Amino acid sequence: MTDGYKKFTIKMQKKLVVLVIFVLLAFVGLAVRLVFIVKGNATEYEKQILSQQRYDSDVLPAKRGDIVDAKGTILATSEKVYTLFIDSAMLNEKEDYMEPTMAALSTVFPEVNIGEVRQYIANHQNSKHYVLLKQLPFDRKQAFTDLASEDKNIKGVFFDDEYIRKYPENSVASDVIGFTTSDGSGLYGLEEYYNDDLNGTNGREYGYVNDDSAFERTTIAASDGYTIHSTIDFTIQSIVEKYLYQFNEEHKDSFREGNGAENVACIIQNINNGEILAMGSYPNFDLNDPKDETRLIGANLITSEKNANGYDILTVTSTAINESVLGGMTDEEKLLNLNNLWKNFCITNTYEPGSTAKPFTVAAALEAGVISPGMTYECNGYMEIGGYKIRCHNRWGDGVLDLQGAIARSCNVVLMKVGQALGTEEFARYQGIFNFGLKTNVDLAGEARTANLIYSAADMGPTDLATNTFGQNFNVTMIQMITGFSALINGGYYYEPHMVDKITNANGATIENIEPRVLKQIISESTSDYIRQYCRAVVMPEGGDARTGKTARPAGYAIGGKTGTAETIDPETNKRSDTDYVVSFMGYAPADDPQIAIYVVVDRPNAMHQDDAKFATGIVKNILTEVLPYLNIYMTEELSESEIEELQAKGLSSTYGLAQNAYDDSVSGGDEGNIVEKTPDVTEAVWKGFAIDPATGYRVDPETGEMYDAETGVAVTGESAHATEEVPVNENIIETESEQSEN
Amino acid sequence: MRRTSVKTKSLRGFYIDYSFLLVIFFLLGFGLLMVYSASAYEGFNKFNSQTFFLKKQAIAMVMGLVAMAVVYFIPYRLWDRLHMLMPIVAGIFLILIKTPLAKSANGATRWVVIPGVGMQVQVAEVVKLCMILFYATYITKMGNTLNTFKGFLVYITPGAVISLALWILTNNLSSAFIVISIIMIMYFVASKDYKYTFATLAILGLITALLVAVISKSDAGGNFRFSRVRAWLDPVSYASDFGHQPLQSLYAIGSGGIWGKGLGESMQKLNGLPESQNDMIFSILCEELGLFGAFCLMSLFAILIWRMVIIANNTKDLYGAMLVVGVMAHVAVQVILNIAVVTNTIPNTGVSLPFISYGGSSVLFLLIEMGLVLNVASKIDVGDEAQ
Repeated sequence: MTDGYKKFTIKMQKKLVVLVIFVLLAFVGLAVRLVFIVKGNATEYEKQILSQQRYDSDVLPAKRGDIVDAKGTILATSEKVYTLFIDSAMLNEKEDYMEPTMAALSTVFPEVNIGEVRQYIANHQNSKHYVLLKQLPFDRKQAFTDLASEDKNIKGVFFDDEYIRKYPENSVASDVIGFTTSDGSGLYGLEEYYNDDLNGTNGREYGYVNDDSAFERTTIAASDGYTIHSTIDFTIQSIVEKYLYQFNEEHKDSFREGNGAENVACIIQNINNGEILAMGSYPNFDLNDPKDETRLIGANLITSEKNANGYDILTVTSTAINESVLGGMTDEEKLLNLNNLWKNFCITNTYEPGSTAKPFTVAAALEAGVISPGMTYECNGYMEIGGYKIRCHNRWGDGVLDLQGAIARSCNVVLMKVGQALGTEEFARYQGIFNFGLKTNVDLAGEARTANLIYSAADMGPTDLATNTFGQNFNVTMIQMITGFSALINGGYYYEPHMVDKITNANGATIENIEPRVLKQIISESTSDYIRQYCRAVVMPEGGDARTGKTARPAGYAIGGKTGTAETIDPETNKRSDTDYVVSFMGYAPADDPQIAIYVVVDRPNAMHQDDAKFATGIVKNILTEVLPYLNIYMTEELSESEIEELQAKGLSSTYGLAQNAYDDSVSGGDEGNIVEKTPDVTEAVWKGFAIDPATGYRVDPETGEMYDAETGVAVTGESAHATEEVPVNENIIETESEQSEN
Repeated sequence: MRRTSVKTKSLRGFYIDYSFLLVIFFLLGFGLLMVYSASAYEGFNKFNSQTFFLKKQAIAMVMGLVAMAVVYFIPYRLWDRLHMLMPIVAGIFLILIKTPLAKSANGATRWVVIPGVGMQVQVAEVVKLCMILFYATYITKMGNTLNTFKGFLVYITPGAVISLALWILTNNLSSAFIVISIIMIMYFVASKDYKYTFATLAILGLITALLVAVISKSDAGGNFRFSRVRAWLDPVSYASDFGHQPLQSLYAIGSGGIWGKGLGESMQKLNGLPESQNDMIFSILCEELGLFGAFCLMSLFAILIWRMVIIANNTKDLYGAMLVVGVMAHVAVQVILNIAVVTNTIPNTGVSLPFISYGGSSVLFLLIEMGLVLNVASKIDVGDEAQ
């Protein structure tokens, strides 16, 4: 074997053994080193390793519950969206990964700038979480994962999921629904009030070290939030918002620049159980983009100033926001104004109700037994109380009126007389019974409490009582008014107003049924009968030609209600303004079998003469014309040719006579109380002599320049106590109005 | 040819050193087990398969075993005649690194794709094998001239050039160091005295000590090798970057204790320790099987090396013996360096643990080398041994 080849000598063999001894010595050295590492360090290093483990890895987001209307229409829902991120460390592992991955990215997501992505990956070799795209819908994520499952070389692209809030109907019921912040907590409305029910519990995937110091992973599944079933009916809500919007379109920029009114709002309530069927106001906002500044255009600019005590005092200026104003606003100012926009006018804003309070005053007096339904009063145009001359809107006086006539014509003098009969003690007590000033506890976030804006018996003087009887000098919210009014009409049962009647879990099982709650009976059934009769006369012919609410009547229906025109307080002088008014109409329908209550408030309409209840009654008429047929309520009144044409123009048809029998009794019952014909209407002739001003359509008194409605003779400028400028103003209202705007 | 003993090599030259082979199989099985244990988590995370790395490693091992069998049947003298090819092959692979055939991973270009086959080969492994084959012949050719200073320079030059090229072209200092170490060990065994070897060692030691002194005084930043040295001296201060791997490795070894946490129970492989199935697999082994497992594995390597010494010393043929010495040096150097790195005895550098670490090229070429050793062993004239 070894022939011819050099030998591996003994010397070499020895050296090889020496070498191996060195090698083995090295082994021993390393073994000793290992022993030293273990010895004394084992426990410390064990702890070190345990402390390095990540115990909380992933949050599994819970789906926030839906908000649906009474018919199941989805008003708010949560959609799973995906965040795409790139793990460049993984992409860089193999060259084969780069091209197919980039190609797949650019195919599925053409909006991605692939050049930038490459640049980023090249510059950040070890980046694990480079967020590329956000809020991707499921199908786009799926398109990519499909590609990735076909090609093994598509690597390093991952998706995180999260939920975002969507409002399929955009701005519909924006005030009621509210919206959510990016971290998923509700702001305003149902979203805020029912936040805890809507929010589910996030799941968690986490690792922990068990008793044997072994690492284990556990998943706790997310439990999705509950679905809120609102009593809001999407159809009714849409009708309401359509006409609020229409009002704005008709009146914006008509007298001054800006919206048709500072606010125009409407609530429709089920009169027999307190459920809110619709609640809306204009201006509104897009729930999917609540910070859209263009929605501010037309509203009055609100500014903020620090007062001497360091508090921010908000002032509503007379400047209307337009694009150039918007351009000059700081982000802070924009947020301030947006905050105001997001507020729900119907429950947050307080104002003096005006004549819509009159049925309450009459009901209190009837209930207290200080007056009787048959009594009559004389109105001579004004009344002197506490040294002030408080005038009726009809400066010549209404003559002798019974209660129905007083309500129908909205006579201040009669109401003041009724108030005097009632006295401050009883009047204040009934304010409390009617829940004025207190929260109704409607299930919405942000309801205002106006307790300090209501007189107590102790600090109510005769003048205060007089102005309170016709709804001036105390503040209410819309929800207080309509809830009280529903009780006046339905036999005296005061239902807690509510927006939600059922809460179900993610599987559709009912978690909670919210039943109507009668809180109290505020008046007797018989008093309620009289109030219905009087309110019917405001709209229906039995109230005489001078009735104030006839323009609110929808064709074919009999309804009842009460108009209101309230003076506001000029923030600069703290005195009553003779130009700015809150006009309203509060009604119920049908008149003879009340089902719903409706309340429309127009806060400072954009018109030269704001004090015309027709701003509100027109909206009521439009809304009811569509809502009543939708509620399958048949018409009870005969229609004129023009009314039928009017209906046809709206795509509606007459239902008169279809259910005539059902209402026969109640119709005749309503007629029983019709005693207006017995009272002579002494003042009617005066205004009929005035010429009609072709520009405005009003009859103008040549002596005073005051205007009267051409047909009814209702003074345009003065259903309210017009000449009460000098009457002392409820100081609390002044203070609170400035306070209030701090919110 | 005498055939006096029953213990003679098998009749037609099919003698197999079974104890050597057994140790190899033992190491391969051990390696596969540890690769599976250390890589299952990462494989599942990145490739959705716990056996992703295990499968690739098993395939490489099967290929390696086939290659080992083939090499075993080729008389090793053939390699003696082909010795001039070896530096050329090594050179070609080193040049391929700069062509499109090169392949990068983890930010370093150290692989070459063999066209047609589509197989990736780590250039350093090719160079190591080629150098062993070349230097075995070179030593026989140089004969006594080895023992002069001039002879030493002549001896060391080709290896030094190739190592330098390997270092520069693949940015892989540790592989270059391994190659030069193998060559020096072969020289040590083949030369008559110790002076040049020790002189070289002394110079290297002095340079190292100087470098460490300079680096430990230098400011942070700069060359990544400097940073690694600083991290070696004080791993805790560099725990977030260069000290991370050594420190985590120490944690793993330390927390394993004497008996370990049990196979598959390592926590450090769950993200704590980078390259846990690769260069750092020994620390995972320590964590799971404790000092006991570590000593068992080191004993296996000791047996493997010892068997190669026996084979070399029984091979009268200088060329065959030098082949075995070269292979033995390769295994010994890598084992020592690898364990020294994971115990933070030397600065962190990427050296894989033979047969155990994940890596197809490494296991393939090691098994080819084992085939060489087995062939050399099969040619031992047991008759001589008996005398």
